[in-house]
Amino acid sequence: MSEPGLRIVDLHCRVAGKEILKGIDLAVEPGKVHALMGPNGSGKSTLAFSLTGHPQYEITQGSARLDGEDLLALAPDKRARAGLFLSFQYPAAIPGIKVANFLHAARQAVRPGDLAPAKFRALLMEKMDVLGMDPSFMGRYLNDGFSGGEKKRLEMLQLAVLAPKYAVLDETDSGLDVDALKDVCDSLTALRAGDEGRGAGFLIITHYPRILQYITPDVVHVMIDGRIVMTGGHDLADRIEREGYDTIREEIAAIA
Amino acid sequence: MLKTPDSVAGEELRERLSAFDDDAFTGERRSLALERFFTTPSGRQRPGPYWKIDIETLSPSPPSIAKASGSVLIDNSNARLIACDLATAAREHPALLGRALGATRVQATKFGALATAFQNAGVFVYVPADAATDEPVVITYNAPDGASLFPYTIVLAERGARATVVERLEGGAEAFVCGATEIVTGEGAEITYAGCQQLAASARVVQTRAALPGRDASVAWACAELGAGLTITDLSVAIERPGAEARITALFFPKGSQHVDVVSTVDHVVGESTSQTIVKSAAVDDGQARYLGNIRIAPRAQGSDASLRDDALLLSARAHIDSVPALEIGANDVKAFHGATVGALDADQIFYMETRGIERNAAERMIALGFFEPAIAHFPTDALRAVIRTALAAKFS
Repeated sequence: MSEPGLRIVDLHCRVAGKEILKGIDLAVEPGKVHALMGPNGSGKSTLAFSLTGHPQYEITQGSARLDGEDLLALAPDKRARAGLFLSFQYPAAIPGIKVANFLHAARQAVRPGDLAPAKFRALLMEKMDVLGMDPSFMGRYLNDGFSGGEKKRLEMLQLAVLAPKYAVLDETDSGLDVDALKDVCDSLTALRAGDEGRGAGFLIITHYPRILQYITPDVVHVMIDGRIVMTGGHDLADRIEREGYDTIREEIAAIA
Repeated sequence: MLKTPDSVAGEELRERLSAFDDDAFTGERRSLALERFFTTPSGRQRPGPYWKIDIETLSPSPPSIAKASGSVLIDNSNARLIACDLATAAREHPALLGRALGATRVQATKFGALATAFQNAGVFVYVPADAATDEPVVITYNAPDGASLFPYTIVLAERGARATVVERLEGGAEAFVCGATEIVTGEGAEITYAGCQQLAASARVVQTRAALPGRDASVAWACAELGAGLTITDLSVAIERPGAEARITALFFPKGSQHVDVVSTVDHVVGESTSQTIVKSAAVDDGQARYLGNIRIAPRAQGSDASLRDDALLLSARAHIDSVPALEIGANDVKAFHGATVGALDADQIFYMETRGIERNAAERMIALGFFEPAIAHFPTDALRAVIRTALAAKFS
C-alpha cells in the first residue's frame, strides 16, 4: 500500500515550448490544508492545470500520485473520478447547459448512482444555502453571463457537491468582496466538517493572504519562478502579508 | 442558365397532372403552376463545390405522383378554430380560403409552384378575430414510402387572433416531398408556426413557406430540419404593414451524407417593423449544409429593426457548413445586426467538463446539444422541444 496523499515529485512542465515548472516537490496529506503562495507568473496556475491534465500543459519530468494512483497516466475525467478537483480561476461559460443538469452529470460521473434525484436536489439546496445562492441559479446556463463572484460561488458549489479527496483552489479568493469570501470559506468549512468532505486535502493557491484568515493552513509554500522556494507554517503567510515577496526573493538570491 | 427537366420528363409530369382537378385547386391553377415550375429558376446558387445535388433539375419521378397519396392527421382541440383538409375548406369556406390561398409569394417560386401543381394533401387553419388558443393545432403529414407528397398548409388569422400550429412531417423512405405553407394575418394577430421534419434518411424534401403579417401582427417560423437525405427550405416573411414583427428560427444537423440548404428572407417593405432571425446548425460525418440569411430593408422602411444570428458547429473534418448573411439596407434610420460563427467545439469548455469527471464524448455531446438550446427555446410546447432534443441527441449515436 502506497502512501496516501496528493504527492508531487520533481514535476517539470512546459507550456508552448517554455518550461514553467522547474521541479516541484509537494505533498498534501489527507485532511490537511496547504497554501501555495507566490507572485503573478510564478507558475501556480500551471501546477493546477498540470495536475488536472490540461492538453496544452506538457509534463516533461516528475510524477504526481493521488493516494498512490499515477495521475499523469490518466485522462482529465479519470483524474476527477480518482478524486481530484480543480476550482478554476476563470471557469468556462457553456451556454445551453443548465447548472442543475451539469451538476447532476458531474456528480453521477464522480460518484455513480449514489443519490436518488430527490436526494440530489435536497443536497443541492443545502449546499447552495451555505453559499448564499438563490435556487434560480439551477436554471441558468453554466457560467453564462455570471459575474465574477457568481462564478466563484458556483465553483465552490461544485466542490461541495462532488466532495473530492483532494481539491486545488486556484485563486478562488481573487475578485471576491468580503461577504462573498466569507460565504466561500463557510462552504469550505462546512464541507470539511461533513461526512463526505472529512479527510479531504486542500491546496489553496493565492497571492493574497486574505483567504488564510478564514481557512488556517497547516503548511504554507512560496513559489517563485517555477520552484517552491520556501515552506513553513502560518507565520510565513503573515510575513508575506507584511513584507510582500521581495524580501523572500532577496533571501533566496543570497543563499544561491 | 436556366435548366428544366428534359422534355420527356416534363411531358410525363403534364400527363400526370391531367388527373388533378378539384374544388380547392382547379386544373387551370395547377397547369399554370406546373408551367411556372418549368420556367422559374430556383434562385439558389450551388452552395459550393462540395455540394453533390443540382437544385435546378430537382424534380419528382412522374410515376411516384398520385392524386391520393399520404395521410394527414389534424389534432385541434380549440372549438373556435377551423382546422380542416383543403377539400373541405374549399366546399365549406371558399371565401375564407380564397383570401389566403396564393396571397404570399409561395406560388411564384419554383418549388412553391410545383407544390401548387400537384397538391395532394393539405390543411386550412382559420383563426377568427380575437380568438386566442393555448393548445396548438398539430398537423402530421405522413409520406408513404417511394411516393411523392405535396402538402399545402394555409393559415388565415383575423385581427387580434393568437394561435400556434405545429407541423410534423414523417415517413417517406425514398419519398419526394414538396410542400408549401402560407400564413396571412390581420391586424395585431400572433401566429407561431413550427415545422419538425423527421423524414426517412432516403427521402428528399423541398419546403417553401411564406408569411404576410398584418399591421402590428407577429409571425414566427420555427423549423427543425432533422431527417431526409436532401432538405431544401425557403422561409420568408414579407413585412408590408407597419408595426409587424417577424421571428425566424431554424435548426438543422446533417449527419452521414445528409444535405441541407436553408434560405431565410425577411423583407422589410415598410418601416417601424422588427425581425429576429436565429439559426443554429451542426454537421458531422459528411454532412453538408448551407444557410443563406437575407434581410432586405427597403428605402422607405425607416425605423426597421432587424437582427440575424447564425452559428454553426463543425463536428468532423469532412462536414461542411457555409453561412452567408446577406443584408441589403436601403434606408438610413434603421437598426440592423448580424453575426455569424462557424467553428469546432471549444477546447476550454470540453476540458472544464472533463475536470468534473465527465467523459470527453459525453462532454462533447452535452456542449453540442446545449449549443442548440437558444434555438430550441423558440419552439412551442414541452412535447415538441423534447422531440427535437431526442432527435438531435440521436445524431450522436
